[in-house]
Amino acid sequence: MDDKDRAILNRIQSDFPITSRPFLAIANDLGFSENAVLERVAKLKKRGIIRRIGGNFVPEKLGFISTLCAAKVPNHKIDSFAKAVNRYPGVTHNYERDNNYNVWFTFIAPSMDEIENNLKQISIDTGVKDIINLPSTKVFKIKAHFDL
Amino acid sequence: MLSELEKKIIAQLQDDIAITERPYLAISKQLNISEETLLKKLKDLYKRGIIRRFGATIRHQKSGFQANAMVAWQVDEDHIDEAGKKMASFKAVTHCYRRNPTDDWPYNLYTMIHAKNEKSCWEIARKLAQNASVDTYTLLFSRKELKKTSMKYFPAEKDG
Repeated sequence: MDDKDRAILNRIQSDFPITSRPFLAIANDLGFSENAVLERVAKLKKRGIIRRIGGNFVPEKLGFISTLCAAKVPNHKIDSFAKAVNRYPGVTHNYERDNNYNVWFTFIAPSMDEIENNLKQISIDTGVKDIINLPSTKVFKIKAHFDL
Repeated sequence: MLSELEKKIIAQLQDDIAITERPYLAISKQLNISEETLLKKLKDLYKRGIIRRFGATIRHQKSGFQANAMVAWQVDEDHIDEAGKKMASFKAVTHCYRRNPTDDWPYNLYTMIHAKNEKSCWEIARKLAQNASVDTYTLLFSRKELKKTSMKYFPAEKDG
């Protein structure tokens, strides 16, 4: 990754141009050619540095709610527990973390009732009893923009 | 409230846009609307705060931010707003939320920290602790990514 790649990544993480030729707009901002931007973005995508380019939405504004859940899962059960949790499309992030509560996942669904029911079902399916549901009551910051 | 067209637009844009000269034109054709209408609707969704961020999501592990820690803080409710705002002002903090504690999980403030390595995460946490005057906290490093995807809202009904 060189300085031009970094400049492009810094430019396109937020406020990707909503205009007929967005890569031309980026090119003009940075003083590159449209082709150079297209080529570099394609390469960054291919190398896995860019996961995707698209919209990120506020679940609550789409009639959904989101929450963070954590579970105490015995080590030998982590894989099967992850499988049971991950099959829900509303589970978007799931990490093993070093704590007694060692599996942490986010859950998005149309209602908290649905999430609670799903958590109960996961508990029944996996035998993991300690699952906590930690919905946020206040957001101080969400900024997934990395200065490279 | 969202119109059916807006839902369809959202369903398209939660995917990946094409890396071509006219990516919106391709999407508009799929939706049977003009490119101009799509751009107008998109700007409107942005303005209404329905789109939080529109752009590239990067794999931070591959771009110099190898370590990420979730820090759970136990903060006096009387000064949680102040602490939350202070922590949110740090660049290394990407997310900061208040959540209700539970019987065996006493933490009520959460920050995500991204940094070069675990040592930097600890240093940042120490700075946050000092700055916000909170001394009970725990760092939870991610050991394994079990799933990471983006939510698929309003999936299209399969044809036929």
